[in-house]
Amino acid sequence: MTARTTLSRGSEAGPAPADPEQAWQPYQPGDGRPWNLALAAHLLRRAGFGASHARLQQAFAAGPQRTIDVLLRPEADAAAFDRAFDEHEAAAADAGGEHALRGWWLRRMLETPHPLQEKTTLFWLGHVAADGSRAGSARLLQEHVRLLRSQALGDTRILLASLLRDPATLLGHGAEQSHRSRPNERLARHLLENVTLGPGAFSQEDVQEAARALTGGFVRDGRYAFVAREHDAGVKRILGRQGSFAGDDLIDVLLEQPATAERLAQKLCRWLIADEDEPERALIAPLAAAFAHEHDFGKLVETVLRSNLFFSARAYRRKVKSPIEYALGLVIALEGVVSTTELAKDLAALGQELFRPPAAKGWAGGRRWIDEATLARRHNLAADLLRGAGRYGDRLDPHQVARRHGCEREDSAARFLVDLLLQGDRDLDAGALLQAVHGTSGGPAAAARALARALARFPEYQLA
Amino acid sequence: MKLRDVLFLASLLLLCPRPAGAQEEVRAPAASWIPEDAVFALEILRPAPLLEMLCGEKATALVTSLPAYRRNEETKEFQDFLGLVKLLEADLETDWRSALARLTSGGFSFALCPGGAALLIVDGSDADMLQSLHGVLLGIARAEAEKQGKAERVSSSEHAGVTCWTFDDKGAHALIGTRLVLASSQEALRAALELQAGDAGASLATVPAFQAARLAALQDAAACLYLDLARLGRAPRVQRALEENRRNPLAALLLSGMAEALRQSSWLAGALRIEQDALVLEATLNEIERDPQGPAAFALPAAPGDGALPHLALPRRVAAISLYRDLARFYAAKDDLFPERTSELIFFENMMGIFFTGRELTGEVLAQARPAMRLVVAEQEYDLAIGTPLVQLPAFAAVLELDEPEEFAEVIEEAWQKALGLINFTRGQQALPGLIIDRVTHGDTRMTVAYFSSAGAEDRARLHQRFNFRPALALRGDHLILSSSEGLARDILDALDQDARQAPLAGADTLIELDGGQLASLLEANHATLVRQNMIEKGHTMEEAEAEVSTFIALARLVDRLELCAGSLQGATRFRAAARLNVEAPAR
Repeated sequence: MTARTTLSRGSEAGPAPADPEQAWQPYQPGDGRPWNLALAAHLLRRAGFGASHARLQQAFAAGPQRTIDVLLRPEADAAAFDRAFDEHEAAAADAGGEHALRGWWLRRMLETPHPLQEKTTLFWLGHVAADGSRAGSARLLQEHVRLLRSQALGDTRILLASLLRDPATLLGHGAEQSHRSRPNERLARHLLENVTLGPGAFSQEDVQEAARALTGGFVRDGRYAFVAREHDAGVKRILGRQGSFAGDDLIDVLLEQPATAERLAQKLCRWLIADEDEPERALIAPLAAAFAHEHDFGKLVETVLRSNLFFSARAYRRKVKSPIEYALGLVIALEGVVSTTELAKDLAALGQELFRPPAAKGWAGGRRWIDEATLARRHNLAADLLRGAGRYGDRLDPHQVARRHGCEREDSAARFLVDLLLQGDRDLDAGALLQAVHGTSGGPAAAARALARALARFPEYQLA
Repeated sequence: MKLRDVLFLASLLLLCPRPAGAQEEVRAPAASWIPEDAVFALEILRPAPLLEMLCGEKATALVTSLPAYRRNEETKEFQDFLGLVKLLEADLETDWRSALARLTSGGFSFALCPGGAALLIVDGSDADMLQSLHGVLLGIARAEAEKQGKAERVSSSEHAGVTCWTFDDKGAHALIGTRLVLASSQEALRAALELQAGDAGASLATVPAFQAARLAALQDAAACLYLDLARLGRAPRVQRALEENRRNPLAALLLSGMAEALRQSSWLAGALRIEQDALVLEATLNEIERDPQGPAAFALPAAPGDGALPHLALPRRVAAISLYRDLARFYAAKDDLFPERTSELIFFENMMGIFFTGRELTGEVLAQARPAMRLVVAEQEYDLAIGTPLVQLPAFAAVLELDEPEEFAEVIEEAWQKALGLINFTRGQQALPGLIIDRVTHGDTRMTVAYFSSAGAEDRARLHQRFNFRPALALRGDHLILSSSEGLARDILDALDQDARQAPLAGADTLIELDGGQLASLLEANHATLVRQNMIEKGHTMEEAEAEVSTFIALARLVDRLELCAGSLQGATRFRAAARLNVEAPAR
């Protein structure tokens, strides 16, 4: 089975179902909405960071639901991989600091057998939006990400409660001390406004009372310490509930609120389905209801990924790739591993510096990823990655990748690259493209690099 | 240039199959073929001992044991290269090492001219074989081109009565008797040929500076080098580098003596000699008077017999630097040396005013230090009761001599404790653990030591980097020791006890010594960290990273010792660099 015979236009993804129940029903390929490589690539971009040719073919052969099964529960030993990388990251954080840690996390994203877990960890990093510059220790940031990863697809109650005892979260929000006599409102406000309920769903009194529930929490020498005498054990009234609430109770109260489930479901839809469309409340309602019952974020993610809506035109190429998706997608497709410390610097210049969210709301994302300056920088990054020398060396070789998959001739190699990177979403004559770049000296390898660079500049490639 | 092209050019060097002498001919010196505007020239006068050191059996065994070599020897390119070497060995009826030795029996010269033109002149000894082998190699190149369906890769033209060859239009070469001339471009080759034909202007051999430089080089040198500093100094990039060195106070303090001498000289002559297992390079600058009032005068020994002190003999020493620098004089000239950094220096001076309780920095503090100072870097030994840091940093220390140690002892002690207090305050603001100040004795010397508490450390085999630091201050006689670790301070005190006061090396202003074996040991202790760093910095797999790091460590071990001495020695400004190689070092 070749790419040509199985590729179809992404625009052939079915129309968006109008009925919310129908929207979240599992997608079943059929005559009107066939499963093809374009949709397989769509799934692997959203649920991970892109895919190699072999992975695409594997997903196509397995079908959508089986592929999602593997994305949720990988067959490879993800636990062993995580243990090895935890060790690398901890050592790098101790030895090289935050920059080395970024390099290792990007490397993990490139090589993980569980890309959905890593992608969702990235979601939570932006959602929690702790300012890494205040943590003072790369090791705390590594522990922070480890915590996010542990429950990224798990129980949101456990995750939120754990974050209240996570030094990087407390330091990152200026909440390293909260005295009974002077409750620190910063984390409480952030929790209500950005992590759970959302603006307008709470009052200033709720913030003050939530802050009282969080008193007694301190960060000392990089460790969380609960000082009982500094905790306000009195009765608090938060969002209409009353009790001697502490941190864990506060999380329960917040998760009981329909607004929390609705907000998380909405944000996840923007993360997985489309940037700009604000999902209608009716559409979100079934998701929110299911989440409010179990607080199982993994199930929420699973429902969205399996849905008709996810495989519809409303989702296909309807997200602007984040800088990480843009760069890692190219590296993964071309089956290479590059310097991730260099990549981390370039991603920071593109607006996505890991551990440095620009605001308490995290990265705005969507169209705001791209302006004239960052678009030029994206092109420069693709050029640098594919130069075959310089900072990224010759770690990416599109010509060799094409040959490895049986495309020896220059025209078939060009067709291969067009399909690999754009999945037929643009009518391109690969031969003509190749001709256009063939003026470059250096033979077929250089021509393939030039073609890959050109493809990475297309608007379709900027979209996930 | 592709590997195949490199192989072709490299193969051209293996062209002398018969013993020298059979067809010896009188040749003009290579320098008379080099244009007079050459900026750099290197002449290998006696290649045999050099080749024996770098390509002999021991060196070859070492190189082939390197992990990087072992990784690459299975690659197709490397196998192609070995195949070509074997083919040539069969054709020459000798092994490559013998062939190389015969090829270079007459020496060779390399020159760089403005604009990047490069010229390599190799003197062999058998013109017939040179021609026939050249023919074989051209045949291979043509066959390869035909196989690839490409046009002719080799072309030739006549110039000054000589056939000039080009390969893929890259570089050019010509054979004249037993001499092979390789150039980076056809133009560069033509210029050389015109010089040999007497059709062009003057050659490098006629340049007075070059002649003087040759004379300055020792007669027994295996190789001589010449650098036209006057021309080089006009290059914008060089000017920028020298200016940057001038603007950075620390770089100026360390390098100003050498940089100023280079800036004022018009040429540099170097002589490379082989002394047992050491490659020794002695460089001499043309005679210049170092200005005793000039900006670099702080590095000029004040009286005959003054100079940098010999290094201290210390265990686990990685590097040692001994300097002759008059700190007070250096700082007094700050406004002239760094006019654009006045505000930063005022800030620095204000800070020093806090530490030294309002004393005037130049006259009351820096003037206490005699010009001879020593810096050392050493691998650390860790107290197992405390633990070992995951990243093992070397300890470093400065050893100064004070004019009035008794009067100054408490002043420096107070400044030291204030500095520790400031560090602790700053760390405390970040809720980070601070240093605990203690007083200990070593022999009859009291030291102030500061340490981080390791109580509660979870894994004593992977302590935080801060445990590399245990800063210490000690005063012994007129010696002041400021060390990043207590252990190194104690070692220095022992070394001072054991070494009788040694006479300075008259005229020397800079002595540097690097111990390759100890550096390798330090790198080895951080092997896992270096591998991890290599993986993310280069995108390597763990195996690739292991090979690269191990190769680097093996190369460090190869340099048994590196020594540099600079100053006004034997009546001229000289640099002496010696690399003692450890070709017996096993690669991991």
